[in-house]
Amino acid sequence: MKTLSDLRPVYVVGVGWHPYRYATEEPYVTLGLTAVRQALADAGVEWPSMDAAFVGTALLGMASGRPMLRHLGATGLPLVHVENASASGSAAFRAACLEVACGLADTALALGIDKAIPRPRTSSGLGGLAEDAFVAFTHFALLTNEYAARNGVAPEDVALVAVKNHGNGALNPNAQRQKARTLDEVLGGKPISGTLTSLQCCPVGEGAASVIVCSEDAIQRLGIDPGRAIRVTASAVGSETPGAGNDADAALTRTVIGRALAQAQRKGTELDVLEVHDAFTIEELLYAEAAGLCGEGQAIHLLKEGAFHLGGQCAISPSGGLIAMGHPIGPTGVGQVGEVVTQLRGEAGARQHKGARIGMAHMVGLGSVAYAHVLERP
Amino acid sequence: MDGPQLLKPALYAQGDDGVAWLNGGACACGHVFFPLQDFGCEMCGGFGVDLTPQRLKGLGRIVASATVHLHAGKGREAPFDVGVVKLDDGPVVRTLLTSVGDAPAPGQAVRAVLVEVDGKEPGQRVRDLRFEVQA
Repeated sequence: MKTLSDLRPVYVVGVGWHPYRYATEEPYVTLGLTAVRQALADAGVEWPSMDAAFVGTALLGMASGRPMLRHLGATGLPLVHVENASASGSAAFRAACLEVACGLADTALALGIDKAIPRPRTSSGLGGLAEDAFVAFTHFALLTNEYAARNGVAPEDVALVAVKNHGNGALNPNAQRQKARTLDEVLGGKPISGTLTSLQCCPVGEGAASVIVCSEDAIQRLGIDPGRAIRVTASAVGSETPGAGNDADAALTRTVIGRALAQAQRKGTELDVLEVHDAFTIEELLYAEAAGLCGEGQAIHLLKEGAFHLGGQCAISPSGGLIAMGHPIGPTGVGQVGEVVTQLRGEAGARQHKGARIGMAHMVGLGSVAYAHVLERP
Repeated sequence: MDGPQLLKPALYAQGDDGVAWLNGGACACGHVFFPLQDFGCEMCGGFGVDLTPQRLKGLGRIVASATVHLHAGKGREAPFDVGVVKLDDGPVVRTLLTSVGDAPAPGQAVRAVLVEVDGKEPGQRVRDLRFEVQA
């Protein structure tokens, strides 16, 4: 079976956002157009040069793309909507990469966009003992309890993830939460579930993120600056298998990140920056270990040593992560790629992780599904 | 033990020793699962005659637990305790606990019991399943 690394090279050449924020009455069209126009300007290309568009959204409902993208000039390009829960944006990015890698397109847009619109899941027909009691933050409160018991970790240790990520978010103008927080503030926040407090849980608001991917041919033909092009060296995806227990997301992440690193011929310890699905603090610890940055139960120790801070061994969630950058669902996975690209270009300003050359974007979607993309500065 | 009707009779039943049964299933491949379903085996894809009902004893150990302080859903008042239980018969289930604010720790032995709770109709009482620490 072929992988992205067997196909022609794909590069990210443009990134853009509409800042993530709490819900407003502004139409989603405005959010999306802002992100796309910024990505086009960043790449230095015009909209008619786009060969295909993939719109990742979980909450907007059917056919939201054309009412938005037509205002860029209706070129008639192929347009696909992609839904994969929290990983919708990651799925749209992968689809765009594959479209270019296999030669069906020379350029493609991946746009993640959502508004905070409640969308209950359709019942599978199978009930549980008390499924209504297990909303997302309670699921992760249980994982926190399990991890803490297994590794002898205190709740205040886990909360340090939030302190780091709020600090990073304070340096990111696109983040929903831009205020640095102390450990006392994080621990003293509203109790949510188990030992999780409100500042250890991601906010779900609205926003948009966009990236433009293209081939080497397109870089030359469109006069794109090759010095700012970041290569996508791996794209991996998988879904949950039975028997993983309560910790299925971490087990799946380990598998998928392993596939991505193998494609890129890299080790987890080579990653300079890592954007993970840290919707809740415990996840960053679980996924750092699953990515091979350290052994099981060791992430807290490295976190305390500063290994995961900007300037450390591997900057995790330099954007602020889902906890501070926010998790507007559709945009999140695309925004992660944009952050990694910005870091690898050396254009992240106050939150720049010096010398970043290799990065990964990792996302989990309800189900579970997981995605991992490796990006490298050529 | 007689009492009010069960809230979810498709999922559990009263045992004769005070411990409730869970209505699970087993596949010809050996995979044991909960709840009972006839869609297909998650392990091997078997369906139809491959799947048979299997009562699961409501005994197991806590994998994880938490006290929910703020609940996002309707119809359930926080605080309440929830747990993940690995049944002695194999499956892992997510369940409500009888405790409130004092959830048992991972590794503790628990058992399933049927407790009276409010039903959907005003004044209605029903029995629902919870897990409690084994004496």
